[in-house]
Amino acid sequence: MGLARTLIFRATTLALVLILVVFFMVIILGATGTSDKILQAMVNEEVMMLRQALAKTIKDPEELNRVLAIRKQELMEFYGLTKPWYIRLPDMAWRVITLDLGKARTLKTFAGGNKVSEIIMERLPNTIILVTSATAISALVGLIVGVRIATRVGGLLDRISSYFSAVSYAIPTWWIGIILILVFSFFLRLFPFGGLYSTPPPTDPFLRFLDMLWHAVLPVTTLVIALVGVWIYTTRTIVLNTAQEDFVNAARAKGFPEELIRRRYIIRVAAPPIITNVILGLATSISGAILTETVFSWPGIGRLFYDAVLVMDEVVVIALTYIFTLVYVVARFILEVLYVILDPRVRY
Amino acid sequence: MAMNLRESLKEFWRLNVSKVGLIFLSMLILASIYVVASYPLDFGVRYWNNPSYWADYPKSAPPAWVNLISSEKAPEHYVLTYTKPSNITLTGTERKLSYIFEIDFQADRPPSFISFTILDITYHERPSTVKLSVLRPDMKNIEVYSFIVSGPYLGEEPPYRRYYDQPKRISITGDMLTATALSRFLYREYNVTLRPSEVNSIGQHKILFSIPVRDREFKVLKGQYIFTIDVYTYNPNDEVGEVTLVIGGEVYGVMGTDSLGRDLFIGLLFGFPVALFIGIVTSTITTLLGAGLGIVGGYLGGRVDEVIQRIADFINNIPLLPFLIFLAFILGQNIWILVFLLVVFGWPTLTIIVRSMVLQLKSGQFIEAAISIGAPRWWIMFKHIFPQVAPFIFAQLIFFTPTFILLEAALSFLGLGDPTLPTWGQILEYGFRSGGIYVGLWWWIIPPGILIIWTAITFVLIALGMEPVVNPRLRKIK
Repeated sequence: MGLARTLIFRATTLALVLILVVFFMVIILGATGTSDKILQAMVNEEVMMLRQALAKTIKDPEELNRVLAIRKQELMEFYGLTKPWYIRLPDMAWRVITLDLGKARTLKTFAGGNKVSEIIMERLPNTIILVTSATAISALVGLIVGVRIATRVGGLLDRISSYFSAVSYAIPTWWIGIILILVFSFFLRLFPFGGLYSTPPPTDPFLRFLDMLWHAVLPVTTLVIALVGVWIYTTRTIVLNTAQEDFVNAARAKGFPEELIRRRYIIRVAAPPIITNVILGLATSISGAILTETVFSWPGIGRLFYDAVLVMDEVVVIALTYIFTLVYVVARFILEVLYVILDPRVRY
Repeated sequence: MAMNLRESLKEFWRLNVSKVGLIFLSMLILASIYVVASYPLDFGVRYWNNPSYWADYPKSAPPAWVNLISSEKAPEHYVLTYTKPSNITLTGTERKLSYIFEIDFQADRPPSFISFTILDITYHERPSTVKLSVLRPDMKNIEVYSFIVSGPYLGEEPPYRRYYDQPKRISITGDMLTATALSRFLYREYNVTLRPSEVNSIGQHKILFSIPVRDREFKVLKGQYIFTIDVYTYNPNDEVGEVTLVIGGEVYGVMGTDSLGRDLFIGLLFGFPVALFIGIVTSTITTLLGAGLGIVGGYLGGRVDEVIQRIADFINNIPLLPFLIFLAFILGQNIWILVFLLVVFGWPTLTIIVRSMVLQLKSGQFIEAAISIGAPRWWIMFKHIFPQVAPFIFAQLIFFTPTFILLEAALSFLGLGDPTLPTWGQILEYGFRSGGIYVGLWWWIIPPGILIIWTAITFVLIALGMEPVVNPRLRKIK
């Protein structure tokens, strides 16, 4: 039962964080008058549609204006525009949570629709593909290299990777992405400048997939450069600490093969703290995704964020801030579940 | 085993990383001092983000030193200005002020444009006439352009002052009068028939600097060009302020220009103080706030501690960049707002660490002794606990700095930088947004990134050098 209780506790905490974040956002939006602007735009939109609909039946322009004025007042009351912003906080918060924020001003779905939730949901998978594949590669490389250098501390590989992790702390990864474009796309013409598919995209599904892989090489590499340093460094430190424990020495004394000791005695024990560090690195992945997608025009929610800021589409900016927090919280929860599964001691 | 200050400095200085870090830091500081002393405060608004200021600069020009590497020599950029005429010729009441510009042209390609400007002309009777003529290396002379300064308007009294707030800029490139003159010149000297509109589409500046070889094909003519701008005046009191000739190049300066013609060297230099300011100021405030809350929470405990910890937890659970984008977008792009936001999101990490350090110190005997003689709580925190954690806090201050420099650069790159203060991130942003990377303008893309990395690395190196001081376990046994 302990397991379920721990997980429910964590889920509640994270849900609470999410709700607080939304309220925090809504307070800022209310205090700066942005929420008024958004709701007003929604009212105007409905009144305009109504005008078009009524113009056929009501011919007298004065009568039409009178009807519309009444309807507008009703709508203002319905959306709470007649009340001060702090009264309608819960209502606005609910709108953010359900992404009921009206229509994007200029941004559109690939098919041309302008519903905010549709625009975002359509691009979310692209971001998830990019981030998970980059994370998976970083994890694989980090674990292999980290464990390897932990057994040869002070070696060449160890020194290189510790310099790398110190330097990577000072390098803006998105700039590395730009340099990759300059070198591999502009000068060497090996990879495309950006995007998800060539134009026009190949019709054959398999070729289409290959085309996407070809487009993904540079962005994934950029993200891996951003993430892999932490993976290597954390794995090395934790494995090193675990390798010095008595039970590892005991296993060695028993004469177990080194490979078995590494797998069952070191990595198995070192896994949960490594997961903890990955949880701490999640924020890096998210900001990395925003910047990398921007640089490579990868049509995910990170690039959408950049586009929304560029064209000042505040509804989309708000929705994306919420979605990023949601994704962050959900990813965190998944990792914490993984942690609990890996580390029996947590199930108190 | 606490160290005194001198020992700490000695330990710090022993490492090479510290030395390199400090040398880098002093270079950054020198560059910043130079900028603060020599740049106007409104540099961003008045010069950098004002396209008309850069009108006479070549657009997207690589640095001048690429000529040393490439096989074909690109034309350099000339901006020549006179405030006094080179020659004055008197004929009766007519006075001719001649401004003579000599250019030794050795490039393999013609200039990218030609223009001249006149600033502040005053006349008393007849409006002055301005003429531009060019003597080429083949000793052929061309009257390129002439105009008469606008006459007095109704009710205006002499002296008549013209072009004093905004200089009169004449672009030879694209001018139909010049095209007609060149069309005649080509026919007269080379028997080549080209209509003025054709001259215009080839480019006046190209024809002026070359000789025709075949049908519509021109070869650059190298050698000494003499540009003469004559201003005819008709009253002894008539005056001319300043005359400037611009021969547009394809390469420019030490760092080249961007697509608006802005001299990147000037912009990149301005980035030094801004980056240092954001990094150091934000880091200092964040560290002080974070450490202060950590000490107070850790030492006092109870409800205060609980509240601080909950807030810190909450902020730590928010993904940083999306929120910074959201807030910078809603609250506006301003350097002070940015510093404030970075502080708000930055303090919790340090608070959590400092708190746990204080919790350990709290049970120490020296604290107990201080309590027993009746020292007030703020005294204990300030005089007994703070000095114990101070070295660590100082190291964190250095360690945080590159994070903030990179965050500012990232936000600027996303188009959320303070538009009144050009930064390296903003230069990169414009280079990216205007498509500079897709056409390979490397001089625009590489230097700002290198400078960001250089500044960030400086602090990383100093932080690495400080590690053995702060963490005695890493100290080498002598």
